[in-house]
Amino acid sequence: MRTAVRPLAALALPLSAVLALSACGGSDAAAETAASEAETVTFTWDRNIAAEDADPQYEETTVEVPKNPENIVVFDMASLDTIGALGGEVSGAPLDSVPEYLQDALADDAFNVGTLFEADIVEIEAQQPDLIVIAGRSSALYEDLSEIAPTVDLSLRGSYTETLERNTTFLGEVLGAEDEAEAAIAELEEGIEEARAATADAGTGLGLMVSGGELSALSPSRDSSDARGARGGLIYDAFGVEPVVEDIRAATHGEPVSFEFLLETNPDHLWVVDRDAATNTEGAQAAAAVLDNEIVKQTTAYQNDQIIYLDPTAWYVVFGGVETTKIMIDDVTQIAG
Amino acid sequence: MRPRRTWVGVLVAVLLVVLAFASLFVGVSDVSPSSVLTGGPDSDAAFLLVASRIPRTVAVLLAGASLGIAGLIMQMLVRNKFVEPGTTGVSEFATLGMLATMVFLPGLAVVGKMGVAAVFGLFGTWVFLRVVRVVPVRQLVLVPLVGIMLGGVVGAVTTFFAYRLDLLQSLGQWSQGSFATIMQGRYEFLWIAGLMVVLAWVAADRFSVIGLGEEFATNLGLDYRRVVAVGMVIIAVITAAVLVTAGMIPFLGLVVPNIVSLIIGDNVRRSIPWVAGIGAVFVLACDLIARVVRFPYEIPLGVIVGIIGAALFLWLLLRRRSRAH
Repeated sequence: MRTAVRPLAALALPLSAVLALSACGGSDAAAETAASEAETVTFTWDRNIAAEDADPQYEETTVEVPKNPENIVVFDMASLDTIGALGGEVSGAPLDSVPEYLQDALADDAFNVGTLFEADIVEIEAQQPDLIVIAGRSSALYEDLSEIAPTVDLSLRGSYTETLERNTTFLGEVLGAEDEAEAAIAELEEGIEEARAATADAGTGLGLMVSGGELSALSPSRDSSDARGARGGLIYDAFGVEPVVEDIRAATHGEPVSFEFLLETNPDHLWVVDRDAATNTEGAQAAAAVLDNEIVKQTTAYQNDQIIYLDPTAWYVVFGGVETTKIMIDDVTQIAG
Repeated sequence: MRPRRTWVGVLVAVLLVVLAFASLFVGVSDVSPSSVLTGGPDSDAAFLLVASRIPRTVAVLLAGASLGIAGLIMQMLVRNKFVEPGTTGVSEFATLGMLATMVFLPGLAVVGKMGVAAVFGLFGTWVFLRVVRVVPVRQLVLVPLVGIMLGGVVGAVTTFFAYRLDLLQSLGQWSQGSFATIMQGRYEFLWIAGLMVVLAWVAADRFSVIGLGEEFATNLGLDYRRVVAVGMVIIAVITAAVLVTAGMIPFLGLVVPNIVSLIIGDNVRRSIPWVAGIGAVFVLACDLIARVVRFPYEIPLGVIVGIIGAALFLWLLLRRRSRAH
């Protein structure tokens, strides 16, 4: 087995438990046989096999993927980001969803694989990929895609940083870019630590999603094994912002709230995700315009100029990956101490 | 019958006042009558009352009253008790109009969006009236069924384009009415719906006559087509105004006129204030539930209205059936 717990010098946190377990499980003999044939990297994760998301049932799934694959298909923007950052290239992706700053990670003749939610099975079959990466929105595609090529699900597991490390390490090995992966992880860790230091004594915050003129409070994703608490909720989980209210349900799009809710809970910082901007909903009222009203003007966050508009693509569409995490770190460090 | 009717009228009026009062003083922030009067330590109270509570209460009143009227007029035009904008494809056409503005005229101001939605709603009403003409009207339930099918087709088209253009979630927002973010400056278009209620009242007797059928109306010297046109405009504008400000509120236009018809019969002039009043009470109650159930968060109003409205609708249906036998 090539997947190993290597001494990642700069790495303070351990690798995710699943990966460590799978590495420990493999014997030396198995590793040699694998190496003598085509080189592979093993990835293990708990796959949700339940029909309904509300009641997940996990089954440990292990997949061997070829090293240095030529033809990678991704359905996950975070993985596209990391592959690009590690010097790799992707030959197929949901092209309509690839944000501007990740275009470089695409091969010049990259083909369209569908949307973030649905796969163009015929096209993917025709292109014969060596590796397919799914996560989050595309997790449900596993059954169909795994029949075409080795498919791994890099969904959020554990905390944001743990997932980021696990995925970066794995993709680094797949691409034969272990050193780059190590360096990237070290850099991001440092950045996240700085951001956490900035938020540590800065008071309370509220993650707020604005869409179609409606507001929803984002969950502090306490149950971090559940990716549904992610997105804007990452400000609490990854960046240590103290939530102004604790009990927001971990729903994908938060809980609907009124302007009065903002005034009454009165967080010191308002972290705003403009969903319509993230999905390029043209003509939708910008979040800043929605929040430009008499009630919001009474809030502490407004008066101290601490309404922070997060990069919508990074926080809503991608949330994960090397370049994206850098953007997120920059967003969070805007906070005034 | 008369004393009983008066009694119901008093009940509706009292409920309206009590619920409106509750609506002013239920919310995330602590706004009580005394804190408004005294100013006191919580000086936000008076400000919130003006900026948030009164607008929300007024918006709910206007939406509830006008949607009831839209249903009533529609029922008169089609001469069927089971139609309203939501069961005739009008709401779906208006939603398609909203989607069209997002795609083709993204910079359009809200009043423009409302205008386009109203034009689409008008077209939807026209299509429905045309379709109903070729359907044998004897079957009472067939008419709304045709309308629901029409709405289904239009809704499917809307969903298809929303899907292709990645606007599904925006679509979801319009189809689930909510007053959560209503405040000063964000509800005023509903006054246009209120204006339509007044227009409906002015033309009330004509709608009563229309409800007796085209031949009868023409024999009475009424310009049938013009009255129908006015009715269509009223329906479309109300539907569009509510859709733009709060989103879709189902069942209301269906249930409220039917309840009123049980109480006082089918004279439009007499039923208009009843329909407006009971419609307002209904939405006020649902909006209060939406605010309180998961306090301090909110539940989309459309969900609450859907549950209660569906139950009432079923009751009306079953009741009718048991009477028929």
